[in-house]
Amino acid sequence: MLKDVIRAIDYSDCAEAALLLFVFAFGLMLFATLRLSRQSTDKFASIPLSDRVEDPRDE
Amino acid sequence: MAIAETSPDHGLSTSNGSQIESFSYDDDIVRKFATATLIWGVVGTLAGLLVAIILILPKLFDAVPYLTFGRLRPLHTNAAIFAFAGNGIFCAVYYSTQRLCKARMWSDVLSRLHFWGWQLIIVAAAITLPLGITQSKEYAELEWPIDLAIAVVWLGFFGVNFMMTLINRRERHMYVALWFYIATIVTVTVLHVFNNLVVPLGWGKSYPIYAGVQDAFMQWWYGHNAVAFFLTTPFLGLMYYFLPKAANRPVFSYKLSIIHFWSLVFIYIWAGPHHLHYTALPEWASSLGMLFSLMLWMPSWGGMINGLLTLRGAWHKVTTDPVLKFFVVGITFYGMATFEGPMLSIKAINGLSHYTDWTIAHVHSGALGWNGMMTFGMIYWLMPRIFQTKLWSQKLASLHFWIGTIGILLYIVPIYAAGLYQGMAWRAMDDLGNLKNPEFVEIISYVIPMWWVRVLGGLLYVFGVGLMAVNYIMTWKTRPATYEVPVYQAARLTNTVPAESPANPSGLDAAPVLNAAKSLDVWAKMDWHRRWERLPIRFTVLTTLAVVIASLFEIVPTFLIRSNVPTIATVKPYTPLELAGRDIYISEGCYNCHSQMVRPMVAETKRYGEYSKPGEFIYDRPFQWGSRRIGPDLAREGKKQSSLWHWQHFENPQLLNEASVMPAYVHLLDTKIDFKKIPDRVRAAHMLGAPYDRELTEAVEMAMKQAEEVAADIVSQGGPIQRGDVMTLDSKAVALIAYIQRLGTDIFAPPDPTPEESEAAEEESEAAEESVATFDVSTKVPNDSANPAADEPRGDDVTMQLPEESNGAPTTLAQTEPSQGGTE
Repeated sequence: MLKDVIRAIDYSDCAEAALLLFVFAFGLMLFATLRLSRQSTDKFASIPLSDRVEDPRDE
Repeated sequence: MAIAETSPDHGLSTSNGSQIESFSYDDDIVRKFATATLIWGVVGTLAGLLVAIILILPKLFDAVPYLTFGRLRPLHTNAAIFAFAGNGIFCAVYYSTQRLCKARMWSDVLSRLHFWGWQLIIVAAAITLPLGITQSKEYAELEWPIDLAIAVVWLGFFGVNFMMTLINRRERHMYVALWFYIATIVTVTVLHVFNNLVVPLGWGKSYPIYAGVQDAFMQWWYGHNAVAFFLTTPFLGLMYYFLPKAANRPVFSYKLSIIHFWSLVFIYIWAGPHHLHYTALPEWASSLGMLFSLMLWMPSWGGMINGLLTLRGAWHKVTTDPVLKFFVVGITFYGMATFEGPMLSIKAINGLSHYTDWTIAHVHSGALGWNGMMTFGMIYWLMPRIFQTKLWSQKLASLHFWIGTIGILLYIVPIYAAGLYQGMAWRAMDDLGNLKNPEFVEIISYVIPMWWVRVLGGLLYVFGVGLMAVNYIMTWKTRPATYEVPVYQAARLTNTVPAESPANPSGLDAAPVLNAAKSLDVWAKMDWHRRWERLPIRFTVLTTLAVVIASLFEIVPTFLIRSNVPTIATVKPYTPLELAGRDIYISEGCYNCHSQMVRPMVAETKRYGEYSKPGEFIYDRPFQWGSRRIGPDLAREGKKQSSLWHWQHFENPQLLNEASVMPAYVHLLDTKIDFKKIPDRVRAAHMLGAPYDRELTEAVEMAMKQAEEVAADIVSQGGPIQRGDVMTLDSKAVALIAYIQRLGTDIFAPPDPTPEESEAAEEESEAAEESVATFDVSTKVPNDSANPAADEPRGDDVTMQLPEESNGAPTTLAQTEPSQGGTE
């Protein structure tokens, strides 16, 4: 019965819904990234340059 | 190398009260993986060279079944991807993760179990693939016991060790390279598990739970994302760590690296269906795959630009440092391959390039250029550090770079030309609408000179890897007697993170606005997102969700919309003998050279016959659509040639066609079918949905009877009754011929009669029998006179009568729905 119910659902809008979902998630990520401060990004970017533990380590 | 701290001070504590700990990095495991990378690099490239030569000289290993192109090509791809690139990835992950987390790997035992487990898997692959033990899914050929081992080693050993290291790290922020590693681990796990869901049939055989269109969809969802999450994301992690290290400057834009990461995770997973354009896959899925593939252009090039601009102000180093040379060329090839990939996903271009050597050139520009050069650069950078000595020869490294680069160009340029030529020649038509090149083999014979140049390019590339091996061994020889192990000191991270709020309050605090506006302002500062980025479990869950949700949006409709796969009443399950023959087809790797998918294009229907319908493949487990045409498509091969022709073709293809590049399959003529195994195959197929009845109890008898019929056919046409000790009717070739003669014929078969028609036919038959008995004993009674449609033409006769330009369904289709929008 569950199989029939699931099969009866209309999936024809899946592609459009997928695009909307993608645009929303991508937009949120883009916004979050652009809000990063220069100070933070410089600090993050320099992490691989040293194998030592840098202090202070918290952001 | 950092300065060694040889006297750790235990008992010190930081201002927040956490205990200072001493730790060192485990470089022994990095050395192990680096060595394995090198060894498998030599093996993988040599295997590639070998299959390139076999392709031109098919008689080179004549009569050795373990050394045919069909069996060795998967060995080459698996060695290159999972052995060479895989070990390279692990080498990069184990070196960089420890340093980015400022922590030793969580468990040395798991690290070693991972290393030895992975090498064992590769050895198992190297043994089983030449033996013909394969699932026949590209890049997922390994059978289920090895698949289980992969799941345990990948997730249980590697994944757990990696995640626990992240949890126990001493650096608050997870650097972006770690994000790429997380995405790799979770996505490869999901892909591997879902693409390899099978019903086992003994240790070396299984049937997938998916069939036909759905199996194809799952395979290329896997196949494309294996490229994305095994050959792209971990190498990007490698790039974001090792390139700044080698150039000694931070990545050009950290923001761009974050956008690069999330874009790839969000977009890549959707793109798989572009591998199935113009096939029986539903149109909407194909279009969605193309759209998302095109969107990949932006993040991919963003990543490439980010990599190259990291060298800003350091380009002078590139002229002298071979490591940077490898990285620059590797990143450039990344840009080229990721430009070309979306371009090839455009349907019109794909229609030309698919099944041709163009795809092979594209894959190798990515594999040799991007994966190879990045791995070589990393190994050269690591050599002096892990062996704590100088690189033995910079000149040799530079020579490797130039030979490797020239080798790649010599490889890909002629193969691009060959692919373009194949695509154009296959579709070329004259003014009268006839194929200009009706003989498939003629087109292949024209590209053979280009294949020779490819061999030269491959030879140079292998030689370059050999030079690296020499450099590696000589550097290793100058290592110190005992390796210095630097000891570092640092406290663990506290569980409580300093609150951002006081440092990052709302700018609207003093403004006369609603509290909701102030909350929104604080939210928009995205500190919550920063918190997510440093919580490994939450980050992993979110990445997994992004991948799984995107996958479900494509997978669920593909599996559940019934109209995606309209059933065809005349398409029946394979007979027991045909099932056995199909398994031989799979085992020999025929899909490596022959597709089984006629696309809805005039040139294809002219060459092969009616275009393929989704409903024709519902009993195909696994699907055999293939991705390349070194030989002609076989989707409509049934009844086109006589059984004797196939017999002789297996015995000596060049006897029938001098220019053929197919190897002989004499062993199929000389080996007996194991009839005892057939009932298990029938039961497995039945369990998966094939509507068998009598076959379940009489599989052996039915298979033997059909084998006798095929053998009688061969003998009556002049073939042998037996070869050596093997009777023709017992040979494996007979089973394979039975399968091939069935291919693509079902849609032209007469439909089953309705009860009324059966009754009428029965009466007619009885009357005919009476008339024969009473009046004329010599009257011929058609064998299948019970079937009123028996006089209708079958097989290739019908194919020839169909109007070429027509996409109309055959009259015997019970229900039909063209899978594509139209023809070209």
